[in-house]
Amino acid sequence: MKLAKKLKIDSVLRPDVLVVGAGGAGLRCAAAICNRRPGTRVVAVTKVHSPQKSHTSTAQGGMAAVDPRDPIDKVVYHMFDTWKGSDCSADQNIIKIVCESAWEQVVWLERHGMHFSRTEEGRIAKRPFGGHMLNFGEVKAFRSCYEADRTGKGIMDTVWGESLRHGVMFLNQSVATELLFRNGRCVGAIVFMEQNGKFVAVLAKATVMATGGKTRMYQVSTNCRQNTGDGLALTLQAGLPVMDVEAVQFHPTGIVGPGILASEALRGEGAILRNKDEEPFMERYAPTAKDLAPRDLVSRCILTEIREGRGCIHPDHKLPHVWLDLRHIPEHIHKTRIQEVCGFFCKFVGVEPQHELCPVTPTAHYQMGGAPTNEFGEVQKDPQRIVAGLYACGEFAAASLHGHNRLGTNSLLELITMGKVVGERVADYIEDAEDPGDIPQDAGSHVFSQFSGYLETEGQERYAEIRDALRVLMMDQVGVFRNEKGLMEAIEGLKELKDRARRMAPASKSLIMNLELIQFWELDHLLDISMVIAQSALARKESRGGHYREDYPERRSEFHYHTLACMTEYGKVTLDRRPIDMSLYEAKGEHYEKFGIIERKY
Amino acid sequence: MSLDYELTLKIRRYDPDSERAWVQDYHLKAGRILRFVDLFRKINDEQDPTLAWSSSCEHGQCGTCGMKINGKPLLTCELLVEKAVEQFKTHIFTVEPLTIAPVIRDLVIDLERAYERVHRVKPYIIAPAPPHPDGDEYRIFPRVLEKYVEATRCINCFCCATACVTQKNYLGPNAMLANVVRLMDPRETADKERLDILYSEQGTPRCRTALACSFVCPKEIDIAHFIALAKEGHFSENASSA
Repeated sequence: MKLAKKLKIDSVLRPDVLVVGAGGAGLRCAAAICNRRPGTRVVAVTKVHSPQKSHTSTAQGGMAAVDPRDPIDKVVYHMFDTWKGSDCSADQNIIKIVCESAWEQVVWLERHGMHFSRTEEGRIAKRPFGGHMLNFGEVKAFRSCYEADRTGKGIMDTVWGESLRHGVMFLNQSVATELLFRNGRCVGAIVFMEQNGKFVAVLAKATVMATGGKTRMYQVSTNCRQNTGDGLALTLQAGLPVMDVEAVQFHPTGIVGPGILASEALRGEGAILRNKDEEPFMERYAPTAKDLAPRDLVSRCILTEIREGRGCIHPDHKLPHVWLDLRHIPEHIHKTRIQEVCGFFCKFVGVEPQHELCPVTPTAHYQMGGAPTNEFGEVQKDPQRIVAGLYACGEFAAASLHGHNRLGTNSLLELITMGKVVGERVADYIEDAEDPGDIPQDAGSHVFSQFSGYLETEGQERYAEIRDALRVLMMDQVGVFRNEKGLMEAIEGLKELKDRARRMAPASKSLIMNLELIQFWELDHLLDISMVIAQSALARKESRGGHYREDYPERRSEFHYHTLACMTEYGKVTLDRRPIDMSLYEAKGEHYEKFGIIERKY
Repeated sequence: MSLDYELTLKIRRYDPDSERAWVQDYHLKAGRILRFVDLFRKINDEQDPTLAWSSSCEHGQCGTCGMKINGKPLLTCELLVEKAVEQFKTHIFTVEPLTIAPVIRDLVIDLERAYERVHRVKPYIIAPAPPHPDGDEYRIFPRVLEKYVEATRCINCFCCATACVTQKNYLGPNAMLANVVRLMDPRETADKERLDILYSEQGTPRCRTALACSFVCPKEIDIAHFIALAKEGHFSENASSA
């Protein structure tokens, strides 16, 4: 008996707004909608057990924000740093919106209860961070607002509390599996609830996608288990483009094994990278900046050492790595400024940083690209047209604030600034929007056949083997270093893996809390997005930000555009371009020349 | 260089389709610094893909992977094989889900049921104090923040609620903590409402000062201390200016 006959929509929900992903951006957006239009009924779907468990809560660093009344720092410096950091590929209209509203949004968080670290005068404290400078790159700026080393947790707790206050309804451990459309307008989604194995059709006037990052297709990643790019896959499934997905940020020092971030602050306090012969190799690659060279450069240096046989292999996790040496750093610094991160080495690797070398390796950290939107978070189907009723914000969206490279402390900022902008736009839209109507005729056709496929396939392929092969392939060939040969091999390799993935048989056919079922579904997403990343990377024959081509190591002006990519059939990626917004430059206002095509040298 | 440990995990399982519960033994070899979440993944990959278990960040920040190992509630992403063998003095471990919510399957529980207690204490500012005349942020001096900042580190992992000796009719240590934080936060003025919750039947009277909460907290927050402040009558209607 075919399972497809048994899969059906079990219930219907009709809120005003559906938010997919209940992290920092999704819930900031929900709060903004409810503030603007009190009484709006919002349903928020989250893959994790409770919104507080979202990946936002693990972010440490801080949020950059310039108070317009600051006597030293200026919003225009922050805008410049963001533009330069993006390797001239962020959209300047977005940079302006985000940087100008940054302080206001930080104050919003504080007024709603976030426990910022304070100065002696009781004001929000600020600290410096890589890439943020005064006077257009002269000297470091104290721009980042923070809550100890758990800023993300503070943001998450605050927006979650606000959502509770506004009566947002949560569907936890649930996933949006199919977007619903009527006459080209998005009218909601089919949500699968993992706990009871039922499908609910959520019909809403507006749908906001805020599903966060995707870097779990890499062998070493800082991302949580749930970050498998489901939102991107849904976007591609609907025939819509994704933008700049080849721009993946690799952080040079991930702790070996879990891939957790060992903050740049360690190198700021004097930590030195060493290879297997304990040579401080950064002296060779960057004689001046040494270990404090920009992140992407350090990542490349570490991997070069490993490739040339001067790395080590970790006996338990079987990962290649180099060492981070903190043994010479004074004890009092260990105990105060770098306590938490040193704690990670102790806790997760069983290493005592004051006396032993710490194993680190580059780790896939952040997605600069995502669903292309305009400055209101309206998802685009091409550079001129939007999809009515569909919005995106946070790491999932590419408005784009970061272009091909993200500056630290700008991503948390993006959650709360764009979250608010999109929320207010959605509130205004639903004021006059038509009701979504009945469930569209073909609703479920995609997900039901997909799920029955997973549950009924017979075959000998093993999920764990395909997953591990994918993660190694992506790390090696579509990782920090890319070249034409490697990318083409990766594309073929991915096709093979996708084919093998069609022959995985699950051990259990239950719909209720079936880990395997969800893992098969997630694997498909990882394979889909990996293919789009590989092909986008192949087409971009230059190096820009986080995308580095060994065969084209310089940035080239003919690639001054955003990559748009569609894929409705596996392997067949169609590429297009979206122009980069240069409105700050074109306005010819004060300092406009800083926003032209500038060099990215530090 | 790595020592391979031979372990036995006795995992409490539950299948909702047949409503059957049982304990299943898994034998495996693992390196010294694998975490228990790595062990569960290893079991899925090599032995039993049907074993269901929860995690998210897998580095002690989100509070999803809480379970009872040999009776002790802890975060399984923080428990290394080497440390577990040292701490529990055994190579055999019982693995059970936390007891504070219904089991959905195996080690996965319906955490939202447990969260209801936290929702009841309203984890947000109910009635904000008037803003600073400058229009910007409130001023909170470090010496004021210091008094409660440790309590803000709570990630609602529910290890304390599991260990607590009072299992019924009680808000639980973490919910009590969340309420106390806002009582000590100068920005909250709804002190009366919060005090009513704090001293209600399901509040402080239910705490028997066993200190199990502080003992198990993975974030090493002295939860009992904050509840003790409440029991000493430390909080009055002007709690935050104390």
